[in-house]
Amino acid sequence: MQREAQLLRLLDAVLGSVFATLPVAGTARLASHRQELAVQVQRTAECARELAMPGTEGAARHLAALLDPDDCSGDLQPRIEEQAERLQALAERELEARMMAAAPPAPSGPGMPWSDFVLESREHLANIEAELLRLENTPDDTEAVHALFRSFHTIKGLAAIAGTETAREVAHQTENLLDEVRGGSRAVSSGLIDLALASADFLGEVVAAAEQIDRGEGMEIPENAGMLLDQLHAALNAPARSRPGSGTRAKSGGTPAERRIGASAVKVDTAKLDQLVDLVGELVIAQSLVRLDPALLALDDPGTAKNLNRLGRITTELQKTAMSLRVVPVGQTFRRMARVFRDLARESGKLATLETVGEDAELDRTIVERLADPLMHMVRNAVDHGLENPEDRVKAGKPGEGRIRLSATHESGNVVIEVSDDGRGLDRDRILRKAIERGLVKEQAQLTPAEILDLIFEPGFSTSEQVTSISGRGVGMDVVKREIEKLRGRVEVRSEPGKGTTFLLKVPLTLAIIDALVVKHGENRYILPLFTVREILRPGGQTINTVEGRNEVVLVRDRVVPVLRMETLLGDSVLSLRGGRARTTEESVLVVVESGTRRVALAVDEVLCKQEVVIKSLGDWIGRVRGVAGGAILGDGGVGIILDLDGLMGKEGYGLAA
Amino acid sequence: MEELARTIREDLRGASKYLAFRLGNEEFAVPVGRIREIIPWQDITPVPQAAFYVLGVINLRGKVVPVMDLRLRLGMAGQERDARACIVVMQPDAKRTQSPIGVVVDAVSEVLQIQPSELEDTAALANGWMRQGYVSQIANCKGKVKLLLEIDSVLAGQMDETGALEAPEPAGRGKG
Repeated sequence: MQREAQLLRLLDAVLGSVFATLPVAGTARLASHRQELAVQVQRTAECARELAMPGTEGAARHLAALLDPDDCSGDLQPRIEEQAERLQALAERELEARMMAAAPPAPSGPGMPWSDFVLESREHLANIEAELLRLENTPDDTEAVHALFRSFHTIKGLAAIAGTETAREVAHQTENLLDEVRGGSRAVSSGLIDLALASADFLGEVVAAAEQIDRGEGMEIPENAGMLLDQLHAALNAPARSRPGSGTRAKSGGTPAERRIGASAVKVDTAKLDQLVDLVGELVIAQSLVRLDPALLALDDPGTAKNLNRLGRITTELQKTAMSLRVVPVGQTFRRMARVFRDLARESGKLATLETVGEDAELDRTIVERLADPLMHMVRNAVDHGLENPEDRVKAGKPGEGRIRLSATHESGNVVIEVSDDGRGLDRDRILRKAIERGLVKEQAQLTPAEILDLIFEPGFSTSEQVTSISGRGVGMDVVKREIEKLRGRVEVRSEPGKGTTFLLKVPLTLAIIDALVVKHGENRYILPLFTVREILRPGGQTINTVEGRNEVVLVRDRVVPVLRMETLLGDSVLSLRGGRARTTEESVLVVVESGTRRVALAVDEVLCKQEVVIKSLGDWIGRVRGVAGGAILGDGGVGIILDLDGLMGKEGYGLAA
Repeated sequence: MEELARTIREDLRGASKYLAFRLGNEEFAVPVGRIREIIPWQDITPVPQAAFYVLGVINLRGKVVPVMDLRLRLGMAGQERDARACIVVMQPDAKRTQSPIGVVVDAVSEVLQIQPSELEDTAALANGWMRQGYVSQIANCKGKVKLLLEIDSVLAGQMDETGALEAPEPAGRGKG
């Protein structure tokens, strides 16, 4: 099964390259392009030979013969294209025959090639969506049609291999539809785009279901297949004439070059990537242990010192590179937003364009994934609440078509994502009124304009006076804020009445590394995320007070802060491992930490240092332990426990809800 | 792959390879396929609020690996460790997809073959461990008795709602 999938991948690559040859200008580039293509075709032939598909193999060899890099005449191109299409047709027929010959795989049998199907299809589906939106914008973009055709074609093949007949049929019919567009007998219409999007959605559901099987859960094939197929058949039979006329357009800042990145990328299992990063981290530690080895230092040999320095430089460089492997461009998420935006604008009857900028800004994979929901919510808000109706816009002297902008920029170790609209802006008076109504602020409160805007992030606040089907489903900006804070980021809002609203999301580049304060208590070291630390102090005897004779509190800048002794957190099991006598609070160092609006003073034995640490999970087996966010490997190879302050200060944590 | 092939061949012949280790006066055996490596005793960083038989975590070549005290897990009394104590890093699942877990044992004894004929019918001596599913069978290898440890149940992390591990039966709780 893997071979078949590989063949499909190769065919996809070959066809992609063949049709991408046209815009390649210059003899030298054409030569190198053909050479590259020849390698792919050779590999296709090999693969076909292994699969015992003589027709495909022959066609591939024939195509390879045409790809003489020395002959750079343009006349060859039509013949190459013709041969490529023949290759595709033959391969398709032979693959299908193979599938028929093989016993039809049971849909839930073990060892199914689902993971291939899931992984590959997912990628193609993402492309499909982007290309469809592009095509809608520029209906005469033949390259987009080619790309779409190939993607549906590949998914069809994958679905056939995986044995999901419905998915294969849907992909097949959509492909036929696109084939007519490709052949020029059908125009791109918004109905066609809708239908193709619906097919992509359906295939996405199948992929999601397939993924569940992969995890050993049952599979539920989505049910709307029949209707979708009917629509596809109807569309195929209908005379092909309609024009693009929809009110929404998504504009992408991406260049064709960006879309070609896939050609030189390698797919790697994330587990392998994580292991690589782990090992490089160890290498850094081992390297620093060697460099600081007293025996080596005693040598005092310039040659050794030079070599050690070199080792150090290389290791640091290697670590940087390894860390960079975890990052992905934010563009993928932006493209998902383009889709959401399109559907929303449709549904709400507003005219709008979406502009995306800075799609190549790179972020940790996890952050990119977790940004999707908050972003979607904000795009939704922008369309639903931010933009006015076309009539109102014209009345206000603005163009009828609204503009929403998604942008990403790097800013000193952070990425700033901006969601802005040119709509009506936030109504401060209404926000304040609502906040008073909901009891979020007192009536006579004196708030600055910025403070009023910040009220929309309060839990239980929603400005929409009428709940629509699009937003107003009970998820408010407070959820967005919480999600972003979980990513150790911040949200800000700016708004000018009548001109629009801008949300700024500031998130770190990676979740894997944090700036931390390392403290020591007893024999062990604990790690506090630096951004939660407000103050470090040694208490004088008079500042510690007790409540009810047991709970200690300390006065920090006139604020009462409860003291949390590490012993309380650690529990008996850890205490028993600790030799010597426990220090009194007066002898300890107090680290004042903040989470949300709550503050707590942690009483620890010593504060060691401030450093960057790589966060590691303690593993599923230990599970989620309250108050512990993970572990980190420290400079000497030992492990420090990263404390989770939310868990520590949570209501059920230690009764510290101060 | 080669190791796997060998194990399969041996399985076909009926014999399997086991790692035997000592815990107090008992000898246990675990299929070698589940053993990742054996590392000497080292400092373990305790994890606050973890289950009582979780000793803590160690750094295993850049991975944070949890370590379990098998004595406590099996409800045996805790004991001073001597130089022979070591950490056996085991695979909690046969498919090797989960992260490994370190298990502290008193001493590693040997790697041995156990033939199916050497496995005893144990229904008559079903003790607590067998009832809890921690020991599946008993092997009588040339007069020496080995308890076949059921890794799946010993290393199973039963999560309750809070995500903390459920402690095994409190009876016979050891002291660490």
